[in-house]
Amino acid sequence: MDIEKRVKKVLMKNALKDIDPKELNIDSPLIEYGVGLDSVATLELVVALEEEFQIRIDESEITPETFESIKSISSHISQRI
Amino acid sequence: MSTVRELFLSSVKNFSDKTAVVEDNKRVSYRELGSMVGSFSSFLTAKGINKGDTVAILLPNSIEFVVAFFSIASLGAISVPINTAFKKEEIAFYVNHSSAKLVLTEVKLKSLAEDAVSDTNTSVAVVKGENAEWNITKADSNPPEVSIEPDDEAIYLYSTGSTGKPKRVSRTHLNLVALADNHTGTVGWTENDKILFAVPVSHTYGFGNFISSIKIGASIIVLGDFNRNRVLDLLEEESITVFPAVPVMLDMLAKTFLPEPKDLSSLKLVISAGAPLSERIFHSFYEKYGIYPRQLYGSSETGVISINLSDDIESTFNSVGRHVNNVEVRIVDENGNKVGVDEVGEIAVKSPSMTRGYFGLPEETKKVFRGGYYFTGDLGRIDRDGFIYIVGRKKFFINISGNKVDPSEVENILLKHPKVKEAVVLGVNDSDGIERVKAVLIADKGTGKKEILEFCRDQIAEYKIPRIIEFRDKLPRSPTGKVLKEELK
Repeated sequence: MDIEKRVKKVLMKNALKDIDPKELNIDSPLIEYGVGLDSVATLELVVALEEEFQIRIDESEITPETFESIKSISSHISQRI
Repeated sequence: MSTVRELFLSSVKNFSDKTAVVEDNKRVSYRELGSMVGSFSSFLTAKGINKGDTVAILLPNSIEFVVAFFSIASLGAISVPINTAFKKEEIAFYVNHSSAKLVLTEVKLKSLAEDAVSDTNTSVAVVKGENAEWNITKADSNPPEVSIEPDDEAIYLYSTGSTGKPKRVSRTHLNLVALADNHTGTVGWTENDKILFAVPVSHTYGFGNFISSIKIGASIIVLGDFNRNRVLDLLEEESITVFPAVPVMLDMLAKTFLPEPKDLSSLKLVISAGAPLSERIFHSFYEKYGIYPRQLYGSSETGVISINLSDDIESTFNSVGRHVNNVEVRIVDENGNKVGVDEVGEIAVKSPSMTRGYFGLPEETKKVFRGGYYFTGDLGRIDRDGFIYIVGRKKFFINISGNKVDPSEVENILLKHPKVKEAVVLGVNDSDGIERVKAVLIADKGTGKKEILEFCRDQIAEYKIPRIIEFRDKLPRSPTGKVLKEELK
């Protein structure tokens, strides 16, 4: 599975449980769905991404730009694996 | 020893060369901390602070917080710790309600603090960060001699209610000394312990552990924010022996990816408090780090009530343990009568560290402080070995990682949004059993979740903001018109 699909899977399982997967494409602004507005929820998403990709993501890497969309998260992760 | 000043001076004298506080790369010994408190007390005196005045502390976990608290107490003044996550209106409430004369803060919170006190005579002093008004090298050290009695007030903490506003809880010098005695005497800490504070010391849980640590001459390592990797690095690098946490922190740490294993062999006590510890988190933390978290129970009204130090933690993990030294806990029925072993009732507590009541709320005080006991509003049972189990609560609030949220406060904020007609806020458990804030709204067509979240974000602390927002056309109501919250879960 490519990175974007895996990121989407993590998002749907953690931060966006009540959203229809068809509604979300790789460029959808995640802030519209509340992602990034709540630091605990964001941290939960980060640990889920760490688990999925087996990488260490530091709190300092959690920026609005990184978490803008599935595409931006995937791009950040692809530089780390 | 019966005042906070005596508690502090005793540690400065007995442990003078030991490390008292560590923050980033700064290390302060008890002797240095004693000098800092002398200097800061002079600074506060120059700011017009006298015995009986109230001083708000809007600071993260830091050396400055520690210095500020003990300086205020040494002058016989009263501290009001304020959560740095709070927004303008929230800070204004605490400052006004406590009649704080001065707000101590850091550079990055200066404008927020100034905005919050703009309609008052309260002044703001920046004591942390660049160009701070106070630092150890600038201030002189000539604090006044003040007579302090054990029954003088030392701190105002605030307890979340269900009335829309927090209730002020005053704790005296003697209450705080008793809290430290009871807690340290029970857990057996010594001056060789190193205690990591990632939980805020401005909150009753962090505060209780903080004052206990100083009393025993332990070293405290403070973190301004919870940062998983930093916590893990510190646990290893500083050979931390005690780590007070909340379940969400333990969950995050258990899930954190570790490229290499961590040596946490020094760690002997991981405390979980503020919210129930789930079986999943209990086991997953152990599997990752080889140490079981142990539950502690306390409240702003009483301080520490109990801690689970069981030898058989695996089978009692969901207990908050036995009462700490000098604290009595009983389970009572609706009429206030003690119930039998394992019978469920309300948990009532008698403690030398508990408050006398709520400021300005005689009716509420009469209701929950009766016959020398504080009626916690928590439902529980005590087994034949004296282990306390919490099974529910009578009070209506939402518990977000130990931060209590009053639903009516959030409802009032939501109702200020021009498109929201009706709002109901409640707590719901997610699949991991962690409580979340949910809002059910009747709003104008086309109102989006994002605009509601952003509106809330400007006005209330993040942990109070609804995680789940549901729009409905109408609310389920009883024949008398009461909203049926159970149907909204």
